[in-house]
Amino acid sequence: MSDPTRTLPLRVPTPVDDADRAILGRVAGGDLDALDALYERYKTMAYSIAYRITDDTTLAEDVVQEAFLGAWRNAARYVEGRGSVKTWLLAIVHHRAVDAVRRRRPTTELPDREDVPPPPLRLPDVWTEVAVRLDAEQVRAALSVLSDVQREVIELAYYRGLTQVQIAERTNTPLGTVKSRMRLGLLAMREVLQEHAP
Amino acid sequence: VTDQQPPPATLTCDDVRDLAAGFVLDALTPDEMVAVRTHLASCDDAHAEMAELAAALPVLAESVPIVEPPAGLGARVRAAAEADLASRAAADGPSAMTAWAPVIPPSGVASMPEATPVAPATPAPVPAAARGPRPASWALGIAAVLAIAVLGGWNLVLQGQLSDAQAYEAHMGMVLDLAAEPGAQTVVLASDGDGPTGLAVLGPNGEMAMAMQSMPATSGTQVYEAWAIAGDAAPVPLGSFQVGNDGTGTFALDDLDAEPGVVLAVTLEPGPGATAPTGPIVASGASSSG
Repeated sequence: MSDPTRTLPLRVPTPVDDADRAILGRVAGGDLDALDALYERYKTMAYSIAYRITDDTTLAEDVVQEAFLGAWRNAARYVEGRGSVKTWLLAIVHHRAVDAVRRRRPTTELPDREDVPPPPLRLPDVWTEVAVRLDAEQVRAALSVLSDVQREVIELAYYRGLTQVQIAERTNTPLGTVKSRMRLGLLAMREVLQEHAP
Repeated sequence: VTDQQPPPATLTCDDVRDLAAGFVLDALTPDEMVAVRTHLASCDDAHAEMAELAAALPVLAESVPIVEPPAGLGARVRAAAEADLASRAAADGPSAMTAWAPVIPPSGVASMPEATPVAPATPAPVPAAARGPRPASWALGIAAVLAIAVLGGWNLVLQGQLSDAQAYEAHMGMVLDLAAEPGAQTVVLASDGDGPTGLAVLGPNGEMAMAMQSMPATSGTQVYEAWAIAGDAAPVPLGSFQVGNDGTGTFALDDLDAEPGVVLAVTLEPGPGATAPTGPIVASGASSSG
């Protein structure tokens, strides 16, 4: 599915990236106007993701507020060169939204709250190859390569906040198969992005 | 399969590769997430598979239907950041702690503090003078707050929950600053016996900040709901919050229209969104303008 000898080209910083980093630098210094600017740039994407996952306007608002507050408080920890500010910020939104829907579910579907460590706020240190600016054709092309079963597990994970184990239970599929479908689906989409890279 | 089986305390590189897709999709259990992160933090292998798999995530993010946020959300974000700045200032000096001081609407659910110590962002210098003098008439209320903060902090440290204690104390700093505002009202919340205690301050411009301690932890969808009761009127729900093992809870509003003498009460409810109290009152108190 994926040629291990190929790697995505390192992203070339764009003017948008540069502007974002400049704003984030001011946010790290406690500049409230810079936080406003960051919010204005990404409020729609952030809220759209939060609402898609939570399906609840109030919860989505709380998620977006928490995510931007998380960015506000952790801006100094953003590592330049490891993905764009946009990707970093939207990943925080996703973490928060998933955490919110998991807490909302009945306790029978949740691990004991007392055993729940805090959701991760920062990205993995290996977050390096993420493309940022995708056009609609790239998105369509990447999604179209997924098989039905790959799409199912990825959607249940990313948009519904289910764990691999919960997906295995819900779809009555062995856990190893769920993991394999996730991995192969993600790699297939990445391969399409490489083919469509400028 | 079961979701209750904990992952091994120490993962091998093969374990991490097996969990990688779930990791980048946020589809692991919290224990697994921590285990993977712990491994990545110390592993000599760069685990390039993580970045390869994560490269597809923007496709998922870009494919969601576009929904515009409500107009007031930006102001809420800024207000929350302002409260955070105030908390940092209250913590004072280079040892300033990051704080979790959510400003939420009456219908919202406050999140509890992050339990993992987070390297503080560069603290914004806020001159002490900018916070204004604290009128002597507030001495009693502030003394009560300090007593609660000190005793609460000591107990929490004993429990080994330092980061939560820091967040709680930082939020208490915000409560103190609000108490210093001319025209602010304080509410000492108490219960029968050794139950929950806390303090809330109603600011002159509709702000309200509350810090509670010694509260039994909520579970599942359970929340503590705060209520305002004016005279014989029906209780008005202010919002809800959850409490973890450290027993502390914080809560803030910026649009409370409270009459002098209003009574605040906290009840335990099965879930957020209650329009009338259904659970027992765990703590209550009347506002006092000194």
